[in-house]
Amino acid sequence: MRFIIFRIGIYLGLGILMSGLFYTQVIQGSYYHTLGDKNRIRLIPLEAPRGRVFDRQGKLLATNRAAYDLVVTPEDMDKETIPSLARILDLSEKEIRERLKAPREYPFAPAVVQEDVTRELAFLVEEHRPELSGVEILVSGLRNYPQGTTGSHVIGFIGKINREEYLKTRDNQDQFGLNSTIGRAGIEKLFDSELRGWRGGKQIEVNSRGKMIRVLSERDPEPGRDMTVTLDLSLQQKVMELLGDKNGSVMMLDLATEELLVMASKPAFDPNFFVSPSAASERLAYLNDKASPLLDRGVSSAYPPGSVFKLITALAALDTDKINANSHFFCSGQYRLTPNSIPRKCWFARGHGSVSIYQAIERSCNVFFYNVGKKLSADQISDYSHRFGLGEIVPIEATNISAGLVPNSAWKKKQFKEKWYQGETLSFAIGQSYLLTSPLQILRMTAIIAKDGLWVEPHLVRNAKEKRIPDRRVDIKKEYLQILKKGMIQVVQSNYGTGQLARVDFGEMAAKTGTAQAPPKVAHAWMTGYFPADDPKVAFTVFVEHGGSGGIASAGIVKGMLQQWEETYVQKVA
Amino acid sequence: MFKKWLKDLHWPLIIAMLALSALGILFIYSSSYRDPGEFQLRQLFWAGIGFAIFFLMPLLGYRTFLSSSYLLYAISLVLLLWVDIAGHTRLGAQRWIGIGPFVIQPSEFAKLSTVLALANFLGSHHSWEKENRIILGAIAMTMVPMFLIMKQPDLGSSLLFVPILVVLLLLWGIRYRYLISAVILGAVAAPFLWVFLKEYQKKRILVFLNPQMDPLGSGYTAIQSKIAVGSGGFWGKGFMQGTQSQLNFVPEHHTDFIFCVLGEEWGFLGAVLLLFLYGYLFHALFQILTHTTDFKAKLLTAGILSVIFAQVFINIGMTIGMMPIAGLPLPFVSYGGSSFVSISIALGLALSVHKERSIF
Repeated sequence: MRFIIFRIGIYLGLGILMSGLFYTQVIQGSYYHTLGDKNRIRLIPLEAPRGRVFDRQGKLLATNRAAYDLVVTPEDMDKETIPSLARILDLSEKEIRERLKAPREYPFAPAVVQEDVTRELAFLVEEHRPELSGVEILVSGLRNYPQGTTGSHVIGFIGKINREEYLKTRDNQDQFGLNSTIGRAGIEKLFDSELRGWRGGKQIEVNSRGKMIRVLSERDPEPGRDMTVTLDLSLQQKVMELLGDKNGSVMMLDLATEELLVMASKPAFDPNFFVSPSAASERLAYLNDKASPLLDRGVSSAYPPGSVFKLITALAALDTDKINANSHFFCSGQYRLTPNSIPRKCWFARGHGSVSIYQAIERSCNVFFYNVGKKLSADQISDYSHRFGLGEIVPIEATNISAGLVPNSAWKKKQFKEKWYQGETLSFAIGQSYLLTSPLQILRMTAIIAKDGLWVEPHLVRNAKEKRIPDRRVDIKKEYLQILKKGMIQVVQSNYGTGQLARVDFGEMAAKTGTAQAPPKVAHAWMTGYFPADDPKVAFTVFVEHGGSGGIASAGIVKGMLQQWEETYVQKVA
Repeated sequence: MFKKWLKDLHWPLIIAMLALSALGILFIYSSSYRDPGEFQLRQLFWAGIGFAIFFLMPLLGYRTFLSSSYLLYAISLVLLLWVDIAGHTRLGAQRWIGIGPFVIQPSEFAKLSTVLALANFLGSHHSWEKENRIILGAIAMTMVPMFLIMKQPDLGSSLLFVPILVVLLLLWGIRYRYLISAVILGAVAAPFLWVFLKEYQKKRILVFLNPQMDPLGSGYTAIQSKIAVGSGGFWGKGFMQGTQSQLNFVPEHHTDFIFCVLGEEWGFLGAVLLLFLYGYLFHALFQILTHTTDFKAKLLTAGILSVIFAQVFINIGMTIGMMPIAGLPLPFVSYGGSSFVSISIALGLALSVHKERSIF
């Protein structure tokens, strides 16, 4: 009995299949035949608009604009199409044929012949539609960066997906297509999956001439998520202006939120050149430019910090009891490690006389720090550098983050198969020798000092500060930081201070300047500090590549930037 | 000796197999002659191996397989776990293992070993003793490989285990009301299984229910395969004259979607011919099943029959929108060595059942 039920079930199943086939092939056969005739069902993928990027005040940093693309469905062309198109576009017929050969995502998908054509050309094509069978103008969204070079290193740019990336993302048809774009640098790259939306598409039925009869099914694309970065566009613009044609990096950090208000690097690039199809020569020029405009000097590059580093040397010496707040050293303008060695010069040839730790920071006395350096080992200085995040990657929403280089004796042994010499320790103590730091690392170090040893993690995206370790502290006594801070105030506020040109009339500032030797060219100019001195709200670092003296080249930028900051964040609020 | 061998052969089974494979090679050629790869020759090679195994199976005898069925079942579970860990990733799914130059698809062998194990297990117990425990045991034996295959992820193959279980329980003698409540329970439990599905599997099912949802992905495949089959009409467009399947509108046209090529080029007549051949194959299996006195052999043959039937039904059904798109080959017709060889082994077992139909 049960076997009979089974047998009946099987033959019934075959019967169901047969009637399904009868319905599809015999009853509806002619309908499908017309559909299949010239493949009347076509697929038009609709790209999702990419999310926009705003600054902290809600100003647009990245958006999309409408562009006209000239596309051709080769299957719908007739003999006249290519010659007429060649005339209108002023291209050779061979070139057009070449472009039509580009791989297509779906059969009968239109091939893009020219992206972002002018309005005039788009209208011209529409007028000539009868002789341009298969040609269409499609409106698409093109990425647009309204601020040009301002903030370009932070925002980054996008580019056309390449073959490899396309194959890798093939399972995700809803997000990536053959003509999709993908983030290539900066926020655009790191937050690509957020900014990228979900593609939609239309299935349309066309007549035998390729003209649409009706839409069979349609799904609207879902735009990507908008994002807000922590930058303040007007401050950033001001800084770009202040930097002028100098190369370098300027940053300002809000100490309460640990958000970067300014992160500027010069020379900068215009990201629009990376999305505009007609800007190939500009793109090439950027890549070949010896000044490397694509490099974010604040994050991806490292330089000798020079005297800015004396802060770390001072802390190392204080914390290991090599010196105390009352220690004095005599500066005659030069220093010899042993009676026979070549004298090392202080930058002030006449000598600073007897200097305390406060005066040594204020006047950036090299001889004081040579004396301190003699008491310390390279490994001790190296240890304290790491405690303040030098030689460590700063985890921030950027690409190609440099860890810099903090040497120690083991590193030298490995690198040069040589022991570490005491003379090198002296150079290390004043921020030279092999030491390299990125401006972002110096900024973080300064912010940690300003926050009395609380650990700092700078951010570029709002509300990203969630998984922070609460109240992680740097292992250092607060009183030593107080000594440092007193010295840093004198740098700006004292009339002997190396940074007095940065002084502003609305509060006391604390800072440290640096003039890092970079032979054979002119020295790098550094200035790093925080404001106001008694209750720090912001920390800043200015680095001018081959800018000369830190107290001159950088101090002016610090002053201008702080004035603008005060106008927006203190006066307006009050 | 030779006469005895000839006498033991089951001719309807062999004729159905030969005709189906010939049809398969014909349409593999028609669908892929433009692509490099000589798929029809490779399929011919696999068919040779498949037939050799088919004729050799009676030498070992199905009883050997039944008595070692638990071991085979365990091996297939290990293989499934292995693909999970080390398997090649092809088309986004882990389904293959490479052994030297060969790649095998453990899910194919898992199907067969599960049928053997279930037939052995259910056949060793009468339905009037400890019914509940036996049923639960059989369900567990089916669920383990099914879950592992679903995880690969290969939803289509994993769902084939359901008809095997249902048919074997039915024939074993489960109470009808149990079977009916199980079906209801399954319908209720389905939403809970939903969470185990991969994103694209969920999408396929949703798209099956509402093709408008996804014009770009599987909705496109669904409508294009329907156009291909439908445009064949009653007479078909003629061999190698198909335009839809030939022009790559239909993906995987020499493997899972080969029916589109047949349906388009030979029309309804060709489709009826194919269904008739499958019907003839099933008829042959029913004959074998009726004439054996061994209950385990009956269950084994019925299990084999239901796997093949379910594959045919889902594969053809999906091309005309009656079933969701699932990556299942059409038995003996689709290109692919693993599938061909494993079905040959299965039918070889049936042949052996025929040979040993009477041990009195």
